[in-house]
Amino acid sequence: MHIRPILSAMRRNKVGAFLIALQMALTLAILCNSLFIIEQRLTLMARASGVDEDNVFVLTNQWVGTPDDLNARIATDLAGIRSLPGVVDAYPSNSYPLRGGGWSDGVMLADHQVHPNTHTTLYFADEHALNTLGVKLLAGRNFSPDEIGSRAENSLGHPPVVIVTKALADKMFPDGSALGKTIYVEDGPTTITGIVEKLQTPWVSNSFGEKFPENSMLEPYHYMVSGYHYVVRAQPGQLDAVMKQVQKKLLEINRARVMVKVMTYAEVRAEAYRNYRGLAIILGVVCTSLLAVTAFGIVGLTSFWVTQRRRQIGVRRALGATRRAILFYFQTENVIIAAAGAAVGVALAVGLNLWMVTSFEMLRIGPAYVLVGAVAVMLLGQLAVLWPALRAASIPPALATRAA
Amino acid sequence: MLKMSHLAKVYRTEVVETYALRDLSLNVREGEFVAVTGPSGSGKTTFLNVTGLLETPSSGQYLLDGEDVSQLGDDARSRIRNEKIGFIFQAFNLIPDLNVFDNIDVPLRYRRMAGSERKKRIGEALERVGLSARARHYPAELSGGQQQRVAIARALAGSPRLLLADEPTGNLDTQMARGVMELLEGIHRDGATIVMVTHDPELAVRAQRNVHIIDGQVVDLSEEPRFHGVHPAHAQTAA
Ligand SMILES: Nc1ncnc2c1ncn2[C@@H]1O[C@H](COP(=O)(O)OP(=O)(O)OP(=O)(O)O)[C@@H](O)[C@H]1O
Ligand SMILES: [Mg+2]
Repeated sequence: MHIRPILSAMRRNKVGAFLIALQMALTLAILCNSLFIIEQRLTLMARASGVDEDNVFVLTNQWVGTPDDLNARIATDLAGIRSLPGVVDAYPSNSYPLRGGGWSDGVMLADHQVHPNTHTTLYFADEHALNTLGVKLLAGRNFSPDEIGSRAENSLGHPPVVIVTKALADKMFPDGSALGKTIYVEDGPTTITGIVEKLQTPWVSNSFGEKFPENSMLEPYHYMVSGYHYVVRAQPGQLDAVMKQVQKKLLEINRARVMVKVMTYAEVRAEAYRNYRGLAIILGVVCTSLLAVTAFGIVGLTSFWVTQRRRQIGVRRALGATRRAILFYFQTENVIIAAAGAAVGVALAVGLNLWMVTSFEMLRIGPAYVLVGAVAVMLLGQLAVLWPALRAASIPPALATRAA
Repeated sequence: MLKMSHLAKVYRTEVVETYALRDLSLNVREGEFVAVTGPSGSGKTTFLNVTGLLETPSSGQYLLDGEDVSQLGDDARSRIRNEKIGFIFQAFNLIPDLNVFDNIDVPLRYRRMAGSERKKRIGEALERVGLSARARHYPAELSGGQQQRVAIARALAGSPRLLLADEPTGNLDTQMARGVMELLEGIHRDGATIVMVTHDPELAVRAQRNVHIIDGQVVDLSEEPRFHGVHPAHAQTAA
C-alpha cells in the first residue's frame, strides 16, 4: 500500500538494507541445502535392512588362540544356543547387514568376463539363516543341511548353490528368470537356488556400498576362523533375556573365548548410521545458529533504525498514523528486504546445489526445499522485526513537539 | 469549536509530580485565530498537545466539535488528528528520508486518499506556499524558511479545520518569520481555526485574540488585544 515511499526511504539507508538482504540470501541458500541433505540422510537411515531388527541380536565371538576343532566348537555352540528357551534360531556368519565390514565380490553372467555385471555382498550362512534373520523366501528353496560346507580361512569358495536377494536377481536377470540360473562368483559357476525379498549389505552408510545397497548373496558355509559372529533371533519381547542367557550358555560351554561385542540390532543400526546422524545434527545446529544470527541481525538493525527514526515516527503519529500503521511500516519494510534477499537466496541455493552436484555427486535439490527455505526466511524476518516494530509503534505522538 | 473545562495534565515521575496544566478552561470559536503566549515552562506546549490530541488530559473535559475527546482511544485520536487537525512545529519536523512531495503525502496516505486526489492536493499546497519547483528536493536541501513552508503545505494539504502551531517562527529570522505569518493569515482568512503558540509579541498582536498561560492556567486577554508581554500582577488577579 505505502510501498513507494518506503522504498524511497530505504534508498537512503541502503547499506544496512543491502547487508540484511544479503545475510537473508545466504541463510536461505545454506538453510535449504542443509535441509535437503538432512532429509536425504534421514531417508537413507529409514531404509529397511530386511532383518527382523526388533528380535535379532549379534554376538561377535573370538576364540582364544587358534583352535583346530572349530567345526565341532561351532556345532556345539549352535546346538546350545538353539536349545535355549526364547531362542527362535541362530547361525554363524562372517558378517551381517549394517555391520560396516564384510566380503564382496563381482558377479558375472559368463566365466572370465572383463567387467562384472554388478557387485554383491557375500554372507556365509547355513540352513538356519533365513529363519534367524526373518527374511522372506520369494522363490526357490532354502539350503539343506548337507549343502553347508566348511570354508577355510582365506580360501576361495566354490559354492554349488547360492541364495540371492531379489535386487541382485533382478539386476542379473531383469526378465525375472534368475531362479535356477548359473552365475559366476568367486571365479566359479554357481546356481541360484533361492531368492529372498530383501537383505541389505554391510555398507549402508558409506560410498563403497552406495551402488548395490541390496545386492546380497548367501553362501552355504561355516567359516573356519577364530573370530566370527553368531546371529540370534529371540521370541518377540524376549530379546534382553535371551541375550543374557546366550552369553551365559556360551561361557558354560567353553570359557576360552572373548565375546567381543554383543549388540541388539537397534545398536547395530545406530552404529551404522552414526556418521549420517552426526552430519544431520551438525547441519541442524549450523542452520539453527544461522537463523539465530540472522534474526539477531534483523532485530539489531531494525532497533537501530527505530532509534534513529524516533522523531519521524512521533511526527507520523502526530500526523495521524495509528500504532498499527507504524507497526505495518516496519513489517512492510522487512518484507521488501526479505523478498529481495529470498530472490537472491533462491538463485544462490540452486547455485550451491549445482556446485555440490558436480563436486560431490549430490542430487539436484527439489523446488520444494527452496520454497520452504524462502518461506522460512521470510517468516524469520517477520518474527525478528516484530519486537523492534512494536517498540516503534509505542513511540508517543507527543514526541513530535518535545525536543528529541 | 474547542470547549475545555477544568483540564489538568500531570506528569508523574518516580520523584515528582509536575502539574503542566491545572484547571485550564478555554473556549475557541470556529474560525478564530488565537495566539498563546506565556513564560517558558508555563505549559503552552502541553496545552497544544492536549488540544491536538497528542496527549490526553489527566482530568477535566475537552469537547472538540461537540464531541468529548478527553478519553478517546489511541486509534480514534489518530483518526481525528489526521482528518481535522494540522500541525506546524517549531523544528519543522519534515521526514528527512522523504522528498518534499512525499512529506506532504504522509498525512494524506494515512487518510487512505486516492492517488489522483493526493497528487492534486499536494500540487495545490505546494503552489500556495510557493515551492512548486522544489517537489523533488529533500529537506536537507532547503532553507529553514522553505522547510517551514513545506511543513505548512503538509498541514494544509489535508484541509484541516483546526491548525495548531507551536512557535512556528521560533527557528526563523524575521523576514522568513514574516512570510510564514502571512501564510497563516491567509489560511485563517480561508476559514481555518488557528491556535498558535509564540514568544514573539509582534506576531501575537496579529492574532484576533491573545491567551496567556501562566503556571498551567489561562489568562484570557481578549479584552486587551494590545498586550505586550508578561504582566505578573494582572495574571495573578485573573488566576
Ligand atoms: N514528558 C514530561 N514529563 C515530565 N514533565 C514534563 C513533560 N513534558 C513537560 N513537562 C513539564 O511540564 C511543564 C510544562 O511544559 P511545556 O513544555 O508545556 O512548557 P512550555 O510552556 O511549552 O515551555 P517553552 O516555552 O519552554 O516551550 C514544564 O515544567 C515541563 O518541565
Ligand atoms: Mg513549548
